[in-house]
Amino acid sequence: MTRSEAQTSVSSSVAPFQIRGRSFTAVVLELIGPADAAFYAALDTKLALAPHFFSNAPFVIDLDRAQGLARSGDFTGLVRELRSRRLSLVGVQNGSMEQNTAALTAGLIPLSGGRDLASVPGSDDSGAAASEGNAPDTAGREGASGAPSQAEPEQRQGTLLITEPVRSGQRVFADSGDLVVVSSVGSGAELIAVGNIHVYGSLRGRALAGVNGDPAARIFCASLEAELIAIAGLYKTSDDIGGTHLKQRVQAYLRDDALVVEALK
Amino acid sequence: MAKTIVITSGKGGVGKTTSTAALGAGLAMAGKKTVVIDFDVGLRNLDMIMGCERRVVFDFINVIHGEAKLKQALIKDKRLENLAVLPTSQTRDKDALTRDGVEKVMEELRDEFDYILCDSPAGIERGAHMAMYFADEAVVVTNPEVSSVRDSDRVLGLLSSKTKRAEKGEGPVPGKLLLTRYDPARVTKGDMLNVDDVLEILAIPLLGIIPESPSVLKASNLGMPVAMDEESTAGKAYRDAVQRLMGQQIEHRILAPERPSFFQRIFGRTA
Repeated sequence: MTRSEAQTSVSSSVAPFQIRGRSFTAVVLELIGPADAAFYAALDTKLALAPHFFSNAPFVIDLDRAQGLARSGDFTGLVRELRSRRLSLVGVQNGSMEQNTAALTAGLIPLSGGRDLASVPGSDDSGAAASEGNAPDTAGREGASGAPSQAEPEQRQGTLLITEPVRSGQRVFADSGDLVVVSSVGSGAELIAVGNIHVYGSLRGRALAGVNGDPAARIFCASLEAELIAIAGLYKTSDDIGGTHLKQRVQAYLRDDALVVEALK
Repeated sequence: MAKTIVITSGKGGVGKTTSTAALGAGLAMAGKKTVVIDFDVGLRNLDMIMGCERRVVFDFINVIHGEAKLKQALIKDKRLENLAVLPTSQTRDKDALTRDGVEKVMEELRDEFDYILCDSPAGIERGAHMAMYFADEAVVVTNPEVSSVRDSDRVLGLLSSKTKRAEKGEGPVPGKLLLTRYDPARVTKGDMLNVDDVLEILAIPLLGIIPESPSVLKASNLGMPVAMDEESTAGKAYRDAVQRLMGQQIEHRILAPERPSFFQRIFGRTA
C-alpha cells in the first residue's frame, strides 16, 4: 500500500476508540507514620471487620503524614503488600516531589484534588464512631433552603433548593446532589447539578445533570422550553429535542447511551 | 427621605429615557418633588427629552469630580416647579462615574427631593451598574419582543445581586414591569408578545402598558415629556403608571382579545 492509500484508508474508517471523562470513587488511606509492621497489623484488623468492601475499589494513599516512604522501592513494596491483601493501590496524594517521582516509577499516579464524599461504606465516618473530617450524612440527605446563588455556590450536603426565578445569565451549580427549582428558569440561565435536576416551572435555559459522569441522573420539568439539556455529558439542543414535547411536563434520561425525552403522565 | 428608582432595561432603545422623563413629569404634576438623573455618560439624551439641553452649564460628572456644586448642575424645569434635571457629560464616558462620587450626590439629593429617578444607559456594564446600585426600586422597561424580554430578565438577575441592597443582604431591588411600544393590533395578529406572555417569563408586577404612539416622537422632538401631553394615549398610560408607582391600584386599560399565543403560532403548524 502506498502512503497515500494508507492515509486514505485510515481517514475513511471509523475510529477504533472513544475517549470519555468518567469519575470513579476512590478510597483514600491517610498513612500516619511509617508503613511498618504495626501499620499492616492495624490494616489487617480493619480489613477483618469489612472484608469485602474494599476489594474492587481503587486505593489512594495520602502521604501528608506518612513517614519513611521516599524511594520507588518503598512504593513497590507498598503496592505488593496491599495487593496481597486484595487492595488495588492506584495512586498517591499530598506527597513531596521526590515521593511523587518515586511513586510514578513504581507505577502509581500522583493525584491532586478530589473531594471527600459524605460517607463511604466501611470508612471511619459511617456508624457511631467519633470522626474527624467530614460531617457524616448517613441519615439521608438533608434539604438545604437557599436564596438563588449567583457566583460562588457553598458546599452543600444534599439538595440545593432554589425558590426564586433563575434569571437569564445566572448560573446555579449543585455540586453534591440534586437541584430543585420551585420557579422558572430564564432563557440564557444555566442549571448544573451533580445529581438530578427538577424544575417545578418553565425550563427555558440550559440544564446539565449528572455532570460528574452519573448516567442515572435525570432532568424533570413542568414545562420544557430548554435551550439545551445534558446528562453526563450527552446533550441535545432545543432543535434536536424538537417540538413534540414543547411546554410539556417531561423527564429526560439516558437509555442505551442516548438522551431520551419522555412526557410525564 | 427620597425614594430612588432606577429605570433600566438591558436592551437599548426600548423607552428608558422617554419613560424617565414621563414618569418624572407625572410625579411632579402629582405634587412630588422629583429629580431625574442621566447616567448615560457620553451619550446623554435626558436633557434633550426634557427640553433643557440649551441650559446645561455643569453636569453630573462635574459634581462627582468636585468641579461644581450640585446646585449649579441641577436644572429646574420651566414648566413644572417640582421637577429638576441633573444632566450628564457628553464629552466624558462611563469611566468618569465613581461609586463614592455617585453615592455622595445621591445623599445630597435625598434630603431635597421626594423621588430620584435614575435613567440607566442600555447594557449591563458600568453605567447601568452605577444607575441601579443605589436604587430602592426598579422600573424595568421592556418591549413586547423576545430579545427585549430576555435582556430584561438578565437585568432582573443583576438587580438581585449587584446592588447595594442585595450586597447588604436586604434582598433584591424589587422590579416592576413597564411594557412599552405595545401595539394591540399586532398582538391580536400574533406578531407581538402578549402582556401575559411577558409577565409569565419575567414574573414581576406590572406597572403599566404604554401603547405605541406617534405622540412619543413628537414629544421627544419638542423636548416635552409625553406625560404632559393631555390627549395622547401614551401620555395617559404614563400618568396611570405614575399613580401605580405612588401606590394606587388602577386597572390596566389595554385588554387583549382571545388569540393563539405567540409560541403556539411558531410551533403550532402541523407538518
